[in-house]
Amino acid sequence: MIDRVLVRKYIGQSALLWSACGLALFAFAWVRVWVVGLLDMSQFQSVLDLFKDFEKFAPIEFSALATYAGRIGMTFDEPIVILCTVIWCVARGSDVVSGELSRGTLEMLLAQPVSRARLMLSHATVSVVGLALLCLLLWAGIGVGIEASTVKETVPPPSFRIPLIGIDVPLSGADPVVEIVPMTQRVDAATFAASVFHLFAFGFFLLALSSFFSSLDRYRWRTIGAVMTVYIVELVIFGLGKAAPSLEWLQKLSFFTCYKPQKMTSLIGNGDLWSPWSLSETVPGAMLPPLAYPLILLGLGLAFYALALWRFQTRDLPAPL
Amino acid sequence: MATMAPDLMIDCVGLTKRYGDFHALRDCDLKVRRGEVFGLLGPNGAGKTTLIRSLLGFLKPTAGTCHVDGIDAMAASVDVRRRVAYLPGDARLPRHMRGTGVLKFFAEMHPDGNLDRSLAVADRFELNLRTRVAFMSTGMRQKLALAVVLGPSTPLLILDEPTANLDPTVRGAVLQCVREAQAEGRTVVLSSHVLSEIEETCGRVAFLRRGILAHQLSMNELFQQHRITGDVPNATARRLIESPPDHVPHALSDRVRLSVQGDHETETTLCIDTSGDLAPMLSWLDSLEMTRLRIEPLGLRAVYDAVHFGHPIPVGRDLRTIHESIGKDTEAVS
Repeated sequence: MIDRVLVRKYIGQSALLWSACGLALFAFAWVRVWVVGLLDMSQFQSVLDLFKDFEKFAPIEFSALATYAGRIGMTFDEPIVILCTVIWCVARGSDVVSGELSRGTLEMLLAQPVSRARLMLSHATVSVVGLALLCLLLWAGIGVGIEASTVKETVPPPSFRIPLIGIDVPLSGADPVVEIVPMTQRVDAATFAASVFHLFAFGFFLLALSSFFSSLDRYRWRTIGAVMTVYIVELVIFGLGKAAPSLEWLQKLSFFTCYKPQKMTSLIGNGDLWSPWSLSETVPGAMLPPLAYPLILLGLGLAFYALALWRFQTRDLPAPL
Repeated sequence: MATMAPDLMIDCVGLTKRYGDFHALRDCDLKVRRGEVFGLLGPNGAGKTTLIRSLLGFLKPTAGTCHVDGIDAMAASVDVRRRVAYLPGDARLPRHMRGTGVLKFFAEMHPDGNLDRSLAVADRFELNLRTRVAFMSTGMRQKLALAVVLGPSTPLLILDEPTANLDPTVRGAVLQCVREAQAEGRTVVLSSHVLSEIEETCGRVAFLRRGILAHQLSMNELFQQHRITGDVPNATARRLIESPPDHVPHALSDRVRLSVQGDHETETTLCIDTSGDLAPMLSWLDSLEMTRLRIEPLGLRAVYDAVHFGHPIPVGRDLRTIHESIGKDTEAVS
């Protein structure tokens, strides 16, 4: 199904981009976890209270963000993470047909006895494995950050609550004690497994969409433009659906609805590590079980890959310009 | 495997490729025998590359069939490409690789790939393989692509303008490679705009014009074509032009075509296109008492121009139009 020599070529071709994205994701995740450890949780809660009106735009309720796991989970919606994922997926997806056609290299490649399906599947293998490794690098960055970071926690002096009036009275006049606790005692890196899977599913969908557009076109710049147009339109639709209750139905038309990494983190907070992997229990405030969302993205991705494969196999290949 | 004559390497029947109203290739019947060097000629946009790309399965023909080495090029293009080494007209190679990497990559891609052969060809072309493709000149890239294509020992070699951007020394080396490929028993299809290269290497030639296979001829046939020009007295010229059957020996009548090139006071410059062996004509030419006689091989150029401009083609069987041509020329003289 795939060609070893082609796979090696595609790895060589994409190594620089992958390394840059991987380094950015790993380093960013590590630094971000470290920054989370620097912020005092009680102060963070008061900051969140100021933005209560904007909670509807957030992927999860603000109370979940008051936990270390919740704030680390925000990493998956950070622009840098999304940007690196989108760059990898659009760059690699757009390359497969229109990229090779634009460079004129497809002619010599397909002059060899290799089928178009084999070529596309070899390319997809490198891109999908590369995406999976990028997601794992992000997770590794979070894991290393959790292992290497500590958190400062303020332990208030013992107090006594007066019944009926509910006022806490300190039992001693000593200052609150500040304790330094390893982050590992507060957060388990395994919490983010489902979020990593969501990021992978999101990337896989984009990769397949880009490959499909690439299989239709002969210019890479036009493929990238078309994919980014779809991306922005979907993002606007998603934002509008979030903004007004009357437009809530729009969310069903956007693939961003299926990308819920932070929701997965909060599910684990309220349940156990296996909660995000359920196909039977519905997510609170959502229509489908948690595992259904990444599966929808993966399913759509597979459909786009199938379409790309069909189109590539049936189309005429124009001569290099 | 389809039923086609075993001595044929390429067999196209009614091959047509249409883009909307535009016919890139129209009803093309082409047969290339095993072991021959076959030339494809025609102006830009004539359909040469479309024909080649249809053979390789890059394009789906609108109509017709096409077999390479007995294999249907549409149904089993991978099997076809296993038997073909193809140099595109504008060969582009992965820019991130070095020359050696490119040769290694393509040698591994093709089941008949041979890195040693490719390296030997590159060495013959004096190509520096340490340079990255991105930093190579156009000529260097062409040499590298040739080294890629001349590596595998496939039964069929298709070269689309192989000597473009090359210096005369390397051009000569490329043509020598073509001759060597033929000596190894391989079939070569050569598309070029350089007529002298086709004359040097090809056994047969096909001319394409506006998507139509306009003409085919063997080079042996062409090499027997000559153009004789010389001055004859006006009276002799008039006699010949007005009534050729009476003044051209019967044995030669279907092998010569007469036309007038220039008309002077006492003499007329007569042009005689001949086909076949020249020796039997010499005595008749002597009887015409021509002065300033010049005999030159007709060459591909004349045939190419005739095809391109839609003139009568001065080769073997087309000379059957001799009398019509002479009729027109007579009107011109009078």
